[in-house]
Amino acid sequence: MAVFLQSLISGILIGGVYALIGIGLTLIFGVMRVINFAHGDILMVGMYLTYMIFTMLGIDPFVSVLITFPLMFLFGGALQKVFINRVLDALAQNQILLTIGLGLIMSNTVMLIFTSDYKILSTSYSSATIKVGGGVSVSTPLLISFLITAAITAALYWFLLKTDTGQAIRATAQDRDAAQLMGINVKRMSIIAFGLGSALAGTAGALISPTYYIFPQVGSVFTLKAFVITVLGGMGSVVGATLGGVLIGITESMSAVYISSGWKDVVVFVLFLLVLLFKPSGLMGKSRT
Amino acid sequence: MNKTILKSAFIVLLLAGLLLIPRYVESPYALHMMILLFMSVAQGQSWNILGGYAGQHSVGHAAYFGVGAYTTMMLMHSKGVVPWVGVWAGMAAVVVVALIIGSICFRLRGPYFVLASIAVAEIMRLSAINLTPLTNGAEGILATEIPAFKIGATVVTDFVTKVPFYYIGLFLVLLTLAVTYWVQHSKLGYFFQAIREDQDAAHSLGINIALYKNIGLVISAVLTSLAGSFYGIYVGFVDPPTVLGLDVSVQIMLICIIGGMGTIWGPVLGSLILVPLSEALRSNMVTDLLVKIGMVNADSKIGIFLKENLSHAHVLLYGILVVLVILFMPDGLMGFVKKLAARRNREAV
Amino acid sequence: MAILEIKNVSKFFGGLAANSDVSFDVHEGMIMGLIGPNGAGKTTLFNCITGYYPPSKGDVIFNGRKLNGLDPDKVCMLGMVRTWQKVRPLAKLSVVDNVMVGALARTGSLKVAREMAMEQIKVVRMEHRTNFLAGGLPIGERKKLEVARALATQPKILLLDEVMGGLNPAESEEIIQLILDIKQRGLTQMVIEHDMKAIMRISDRIVVLTSGEKLTEGSPQEVVSNPDVISAYLGEPHA
Repeated sequence: MAVFLQSLISGILIGGVYALIGIGLTLIFGVMRVINFAHGDILMVGMYLTYMIFTMLGIDPFVSVLITFPLMFLFGGALQKVFINRVLDALAQNQILLTIGLGLIMSNTVMLIFTSDYKILSTSYSSATIKVGGGVSVSTPLLISFLITAAITAALYWFLLKTDTGQAIRATAQDRDAAQLMGINVKRMSIIAFGLGSALAGTAGALISPTYYIFPQVGSVFTLKAFVITVLGGMGSVVGATLGGVLIGITESMSAVYISSGWKDVVVFVLFLLVLLFKPSGLMGKSRT
Repeated sequence: MNKTILKSAFIVLLLAGLLLIPRYVESPYALHMMILLFMSVAQGQSWNILGGYAGQHSVGHAAYFGVGAYTTMMLMHSKGVVPWVGVWAGMAAVVVVALIIGSICFRLRGPYFVLASIAVAEIMRLSAINLTPLTNGAEGILATEIPAFKIGATVVTDFVTKVPFYYIGLFLVLLTLAVTYWVQHSKLGYFFQAIREDQDAAHSLGINIALYKNIGLVISAVLTSLAGSFYGIYVGFVDPPTVLGLDVSVQIMLICIIGGMGTIWGPVLGSLILVPLSEALRSNMVTDLLVKIGMVNADSKIGIFLKENLSHAHVLLYGILVVLVILFMPDGLMGFVKKLAARRNREAV
Repeated sequence: MAILEIKNVSKFFGGLAANSDVSFDVHEGMIMGLIGPNGAGKTTLFNCITGYYPPSKGDVIFNGRKLNGLDPDKVCMLGMVRTWQKVRPLAKLSVVDNVMVGALARTGSLKVAREMAMEQIKVVRMEHRTNFLAGGLPIGERKKLEVARALATQPKILLLDEVMGGLNPAESEEIIQLILDIKQRGLTQMVIEHDMKAIMRISDRIVVLTSGEKLTEGSPQEVVSNPDVISAYLGEPHA
């Protein structure tokens, strides 16, 4: 029983981070209808950024989120303005290919600069655990990242529901043309959406940096998982991505414990295919023609 | 009429030249480069049928390449099955994979096929790592002893030199070119392109979308698996990242993006650019050149950096090329060439 | 027996009733006009009839056979084909290749398909554009191309969705002649149109939709003098 609880809780904790990644991707898709294949690589950039800040400035990774978030936001916004913006009206396949290309540039530039060596960011508490009772203990860094994730997600929901810009973003996601007719600067919304999505991905990277190996190719697995999460939750749905992230986290965690850690990713991808087979519009079922 | 005669003459001469090269060229390295080129063209042409003509962009073609490679290698290594029989098993295996992914995705609208194609390739790659008793896991399969190919009692080849591989590679190129040509000039080609151009319009004109997408996928998968099997026995070694990794899928796509999708010669052009370029980077040719012309001092920081890293930079180059092509030449080189020609004729090419 | 029977067709999108209990019959060889203000549900009805999506309620019966959400390709093979409000040329293919795609619904031979295609290209008078890339055509010719392509599938009934939309008077006149020629050949047609004069000229009967419901049906004379129809369009009684 303790094992079950343990893996469930670990799954929920990592699921929070996954949710951040998924929300970022679904925002980008919702507002711009662009499938961002560079999402995982943006996360990777966030990881390396956090690593550099830690090794050069000695700032704790969780604290440096305050720096990473805005920096990644600017990075994403710049990417949108310089590259993505040019293909907003192009064929979907070209958009996908462009983001794939950008992702390749990111991961390989990082590889040239930092080499492919696995880097480890160890803090004093990297392997610490907290006993929660019932024979269950949780990893301290995972717990902290979950709390930060929850805070960010809450702030995000508040932003989307209560602020003018947030509502403008939601309007653009619902109907781009109508939003434009209502006077919303959809170009600006796209930049904000991509910036926000990147900030969330980069921050997720920052949050997992104390517990994951850091290497240039780490992004691709996250890109794919991010897509599984968004499809599972329903593409364009922030709530869906939140739920999807937690669900995938739990699935992964349970698979690692009850099957094997080598197969855990396969389970997630097979789950993805099953979702496509039975409910492609996802949990929140927002199907768009 | 003149144009057609010239074109045919050119092709015949080219073919004759290609057939005769191993007679006069002894350098194993040169033959190796040609084999790489042939493999790249075969991969590109195979992907092109589904991606270029039918407009379904698979970013997971490594699945078919790798399953073909692994099946042939596994059968040869552990059961002694000769590769020219093993390739059929490989093809059968990829048909199953293709039909699974096709039946799941092709009735859906949207980007799902792209995503699912990557997922399937990843499932294959991870399975290859984990199913150690079958695939030897992350270590891969090393099998360099290829049984001699005999017709009756006569040994046709021992596979000792690169020459037989050269001809097999050339055969694959001709096969994929022939299939592409046949597709383009058949009802299949028309339906594929209709689906690519406007799926709803095609649907309303009597085209069974799911059926034809599946046909395109199966043809593409089978040809890719042949290329994979060929790769396996040529190199003599397969492991999960080399034949099932994401960058294999991206590389295959890249050949068509750069050369031009949906055209017969696009993948050929793309290969003619990519293969020498990546080889030049891989073998430090570029660094040596820069040193030779005096732009870079071999012992300087930059020199050492380049020497150590440029060989790994070919994927970075791929990324830059993709971005440049998508932004400035979305129809690839063939598309660019066609546009120039069209501007001269003011008619459809 | 009518060639096409629409029986109590409704289509809901979430809470919105895009079509509500629409019923009428189309008889062989006639031209049925389908009119109504924007958003009345005309294109939605076409989509339901041709299988783009299934009706939420009701039946669509074509030549005695219930369609009810049969896939669009099968609907086409049964003999019903439609054109699109927003034209959908196969842009990277030439005009003749576009029409051949339609013809290939009925033959596997490229040679025969090409002959069939050329026939229809002549009907719409676009021989001078045979090898032209469809994507480069002006709107009037795109519309004609779409009709030619649809005709190449050898339909028994042709559904035209605002085929005159965006055309100048000369182009519209050409389309009207084309529609009348098609009628001469014995094909049944259902035409969605905003151009009232055109609809009056070509239709044998007209169905009027407003807000998803069928308002009325009748001969062109009856419909144009119906005060409800007038107010549906103008929003007030008209003398």
